[in-house]
Amino acid sequence: MRSLLVVCGLVLGLGPGPAVAQDRDVRRELAARGAPSAFIGPVGMLVDRARLEGLPAAPLADKALEGWAKRVPPDRVAGALEQMRMRLVEARAIAVQAGVTDPPGVMVAAGAEALGRGLGADEIGTLIRSARTPEQGAIGLQVAASLAAQGLARNAAVAAVRHAYERDGGQDLFELPSALADLSGQGVSMADVAQRIMRGGGLPIPPMAGRGSGRPGNVPPGPGGRAGPKSGRRR
Amino acid sequence: MAAGAAPAVSDADVVERVLEGDVEAYGVLVERYRAAFGRFAVGLCGDADLAADAMQEAFIRAFDALATCERPDRFGAWFHRILRNQCVNHRTRRRPHELLDEVQVAAPHRTDERLRRAEIRAAIQRAIDELTREQREAFVLRHLEGRPYGEMADLLGEREDTLRTRVHRARDLVRRRLEGLL
Amino acid sequence: MNDDAWTNDAQRFLDGDGDPPADADERARAGRFAAEVAMYAADLDVPSADLDARVLAAVRARAARRAWWRWFVRPHRLVIRPALAAAAAVVLVVLSAGVARMIGPGAPPVPAPSASGSDGVLVRFEFVAPAAHRVSLAGSFNGWNDSTLTFSHGTQAGVWTVTVALPPGEYQYLFVVDGERWIPDPTAHAQVKDEFGQTNSLLVVGPRGVVRS
Repeated sequence: MRSLLVVCGLVLGLGPGPAVAQDRDVRRELAARGAPSAFIGPVGMLVDRARLEGLPAAPLADKALEGWAKRVPPDRVAGALEQMRMRLVEARAIAVQAGVTDPPGVMVAAGAEALGRGLGADEIGTLIRSARTPEQGAIGLQVAASLAAQGLARNAAVAAVRHAYERDGGQDLFELPSALADLSGQGVSMADVAQRIMRGGGLPIPPMAGRGSGRPGNVPPGPGGRAGPKSGRRR
Repeated sequence: MAAGAAPAVSDADVVERVLEGDVEAYGVLVERYRAAFGRFAVGLCGDADLAADAMQEAFIRAFDALATCERPDRFGAWFHRILRNQCVNHRTRRRPHELLDEVQVAAPHRTDERLRRAEIRAAIQRAIDELTREQREAFVLRHLEGRPYGEMADLLGEREDTLRTRVHRARDLVRRRLEGLL
Repeated sequence: MNDDAWTNDAQRFLDGDGDPPADADERARAGRFAAEVAMYAADLDVPSADLDARVLAAVRARAARRAWWRWFVRPHRLVIRPALAAAAAVVLVVLSAGVARMIGPGAPPVPAPSASGSDGVLVRFEFVAPAAHRVSLAGSFNGWNDSTLTFSHGTQAGVWTVTVALPPGEYQYLFVVDGERWIPDPTAHAQVKDEFGQTNSLLVVGPRGVVRS
């Protein structure tokens, strides 16, 4: 029960961030930031449509805010939102097929994000089925997608999350990307990490020392802070 | 873990001991409920290896969540729910036509009687596969485990007459599959 | 007779609630059905006692791991077992909130997430931009608002820093330089597509903090 409470607590931190646009009216928010009606209109309709379909609207609302903040043209934002909406539909179907009859919004959102980052339906279904609760499944999906974005092979990312599900009730899920960054910083290649994971090792959680905000001297000199020759950073 | 002539300790006592740190005591529950629910697991998973995996997973999850078992005296029913979920999960990994292939490939080496037995076994397996999940659970508990309806109702949290209906429908389906073989 | 369905008599008989069906064919069929299904049940390859050993090995390992990390239990189940402490050098401590932790001598201290009076882990962002006049942080944690989280100069020239309290989770963000240029963070865990043809930096904050690339 305690593990469940912790997981539920962690869900509050489930991306994108601490519920920025959870139930807020995205139209009002955009208007408050000076967005024109030409932007607000189509975006608002897309978000409403998703809500009517029973899809989680927060990821779409947040993406709309991001689009306006970056001054992306409205038709491009609308296109992006439609792509997201379709991924949400697909993610929900995958969750249902994986046995979650009424998947919570956080799981659908995490599944859509995972699809967008290249995880396959099978992998997503596996992560959902292996989780103890839907909320844990949502976190597992996020973390697996993050590990994949860091350069870890997808099957190893899935295996690492599944291993973490079992380790201490899955409370260390959000530690995994740091664990991978730590190994990468020590010079271990992604291929070697993947091999180790597939042999059943999981990702070891790094100690507290050196945590917080990155290590001194890690930022390359020069204007703009452009990416330097550091392993573990991926495009 | 030693099995002896001493009177069996209750589930509640064992749960209490495990929560106090006596991990070895968990073996009592494992042995007890592996025996009690083994057929259920195989019947639901449709495959012996998957059933073993499902049971193992269920026991481990039950251990992890043992502090949340609100009625330790009803550990069995609580564990049964966990096992059901694991069997549903594991069942999805099954390849559907294994049993049929086994019968066909092995046929040339079997006597008529053994072949007939194998065909009947395959037909029953196929019939159970085609049941709905609810019918499968009810049929397995009633016919593979031989549980009375009252006990089934307790385990599944359903009404007896609901379960009776499911078993009756399941029997009809199994009968259809066995047509010509009985 | 409908060969597809059992008669009510047969169903009651197979339920153990009634006499064998009056109809001879149905009676014979029901008898054979019961026998075949019983044989099927008897032939099932049920999990053997090997399973017990595997389960116990797994739960022993879990119990041992928990002895060195965190353990959440209900208050009335919390105990101190001298025998266990002697065997595993573990002490179980009860806290008034009903949350228990197991701390062993020599085990690393259980880290408490550092927070600035609210929930969250303190995460420090650093950015080198000697020519910039203003740097802010915009991301999924603040609705991509580039005016709410501004960096300040660090002790080193050209180094900008800001510390944010973030609940554990995944965040996408960018540095915004002079309100115009949106720059990725090279020390982020990854760079991901933003759906608009650009990239966002991605950081996953754990309950114990962050280790960056």
